[in-house]
Amino acid sequence: MTVVLTAAPAAVADSSRGRGPRAGRAWPYLTPLLVLLFAWVYGPALFTGVLSFLEWNLTGAPGGFVGLENYARLLREPEFGQAAGQTMLYAAALLPFSTIVPMFLAIMLWQRPGRTSTVYRSLLFLPVMVAPVAVAVSWRFLLNPLQGLANEVIGVIGLPPMNWLGNPASALIVIVLVTAAKVTAFNMLLYSAALSTLDRRTLQAARLESASAWETTRFIVIPQLHKTTLLLGVLSIVLAGQWVFTNVSVLTQGGPDGVTDNVYYRIYTLGFEFFETGMASAAAAIVLLFFALASLGWVLLTRSNLRRSSANR
Amino acid sequence: MNVFRPSRSALSSSALSSHPARRRLAALLAVGSVLTVTGCAAAAEAGPAEDITITFSSYNYGTAGAAGEGTQALLDAFAEQHPNITVVPEAVPVADVLTKTKTAVAAGIAPDVVQLGYSKLAEALETLPIQSIEDIAGDEWTDHAEGINQALIQTGERDGTAHALPYTVSIPTVFYNADLFTAAGLDPESPPTSIDEVAAAAEAITAAGHYGVYFGAVDSGKSDYLTQSVINSAGGAIVNEGGDITLDSPEAIAGLTAVQDLTTQGLQPAVAVDDAVAAFSSGDLGMLVMTTAVLGNISAAAEGNFELRTSAFPTFSDEEARPTHSGASLVVLSDDEAKQQAAWEFVKFLTSKEGYTMITEKIGYLPLRADLAEDPEYLAGYFAENKLLVPALDQLATLAPYLSFPSAKANQATVLFQDNAVSPIVLRDADVKSTLTEVADRIRDLVGAP
Repeated sequence: MTVVLTAAPAAVADSSRGRGPRAGRAWPYLTPLLVLLFAWVYGPALFTGVLSFLEWNLTGAPGGFVGLENYARLLREPEFGQAAGQTMLYAAALLPFSTIVPMFLAIMLWQRPGRTSTVYRSLLFLPVMVAPVAVAVSWRFLLNPLQGLANEVIGVIGLPPMNWLGNPASALIVIVLVTAAKVTAFNMLLYSAALSTLDRRTLQAARLESASAWETTRFIVIPQLHKTTLLLGVLSIVLAGQWVFTNVSVLTQGGPDGVTDNVYYRIYTLGFEFFETGMASAAAAIVLLFFALASLGWVLLTRSNLRRSSANR
Repeated sequence: MNVFRPSRSALSSSALSSHPARRRLAALLAVGSVLTVTGCAAAAEAGPAEDITITFSSYNYGTAGAAGEGTQALLDAFAEQHPNITVVPEAVPVADVLTKTKTAVAAGIAPDVVQLGYSKLAEALETLPIQSIEDIAGDEWTDHAEGINQALIQTGERDGTAHALPYTVSIPTVFYNADLFTAAGLDPESPPTSIDEVAAAAEAITAAGHYGVYFGAVDSGKSDYLTQSVINSAGGAIVNEGGDITLDSPEAIAGLTAVQDLTTQGLQPAVAVDDAVAAFSSGDLGMLVMTTAVLGNISAAAEGNFELRTSAFPTFSDEEARPTHSGASLVVLSDDEAKQQAAWEFVKFLTSKEGYTMITEKIGYLPLRADLAEDPEYLAGYFAENKLLVPALDQLATLAPYLSFPSAKANQATVLFQDNAVSPIVLRDADVKSTLTEVADRIRDLVGAP
């Protein structure tokens, strides 16, 4: 057993560099996965790329080759640019709810273990378990501007009723907060998992040094959570537009005045409401290209940082 | 109903044909069968003789309240009369009808019959394999179409033949809460007839501590039927007879400005239409201007809560009001001949005197055969007791045709109009003239019309 455990990483390491004697033999084992990946991911992505140069309304045969016309039309219409800007706003607004807030919730619960903590954690996690559309419909009733509970509540403290989803000034904030409840709850669970792997020796050392709870959190716990935070932050930026999709679809349909729109909802609208398959494909290709370039930049940055830190050592 | 089902054992048994006496018997049976077939065919309704199943995509089916219950009653009545035709209903949200139908067509699983909203019909006729219902009906067409509102039949024509039959059609009307009228010092017997009177009544109701009026122009199904009704009544149209885009005409600007003024003056809550319907149903809103399709649900909500009344769509100029209709038509997508005949039987039933009577009584849409409202066998008794549909029924005679933007992108243009012009104008104080001009230019560019 021990032999297997020590030998396997070496083989993987060799294969990864492509220099080992078994390097060529690894590919057949990967074939089933590669076939599935091509069938479900890369194939459709390529097909989408092809469609972006055609005019097609989905129901008839694909129309003629239109070159870059779909891209030009997409960039001409103000809605796509606005949707792209709103997607970035969503990413920025949801970032603290996917990193800072769940991290501190998880730390607080971790510092106070016991039944109360478990119950509280379960209650916080409850929104993740409920069907997304059901949650959105519930919010629609709660936020009804004429008869909703939300306005009843703020009326108690003397505030005037608000048109939560109909006012461009508040609609995006509402969508962010409604989505944040679920994101925060889910990421809190991931932070809790990360907290269970903390280096206990450093925690014991801090206790021996009579460090306060805040000092322990600030200088020992949070630094050890930086990989989790980095991962969740990147995921939040990439997936924010997708996370808000259901709430946008049920609560605002991208309105009012497009302030709650985002690129994914725009792609859906173009593709399945207007059947502008070519334009929807062009939009999807632009989004894919943007994230591919962003990811490449991120990888290059990380590599150069690693090299620099290795050189400093 | 007599349905002839040929007995395979009686007609094709080899035992019968092998002996001369039996052959004669077989011949007699065959002749008798032919005569029976002829007799049955004369007596029975036309349609498929074999058991057959068709699918029906409907946005009323499966919904809570009168619309869903009424649709189920229609399906039950048809099933009773046509036991050999099984109709499988498929529920679809009203805003997704075109989307779902197009994706179903693309996937090769198109429904056989579809309830299709008029705001989506023009694009559907351009892009979906909708069959000519007139051709399917054949000799039965002339007799069946006689008596149905001809303007509505013409709306569903393509290449000179009818491709859609009007099914659930309604006209915008003014629902008003008579109790709130009385509380505001208004006379419920004299409802407002013009937009100025609507504004004055709304002002009195608002002063009494309630919400005044709500025009359902920002329709949740992205239909522009109420927007068109406003613009038509102000003397304009979204498209002129030559197909030019005219939604930024002075008349259109005047009509939408009048509706916007209600909002800016605090007489109309700037909320989504569903929220306004909820407020009216609970007795907090004085007047609700929208389709009679909501009559069933609003009547149920008003019962024991407040006195519900209706009046005709108001005038917006010195001319009479010219509301257009909302609602849906029936189209057949199936290219299978047997299914087409079954679909025709189904469509024929839904648009028959009996079908239209059930649609009016149970759901609240208008009867689309002019004689039904006065026929004691059908709806005369109903209208004698139920006055709420009468104002809309009176306006059915002067109905303005529902207009669509030209080209296969008609629905996209309508959504653009509603989202980028009507919604910001009516609900958010956008400048009427510049907004309409900008959106009209975009629609001209989109559909390629002047």
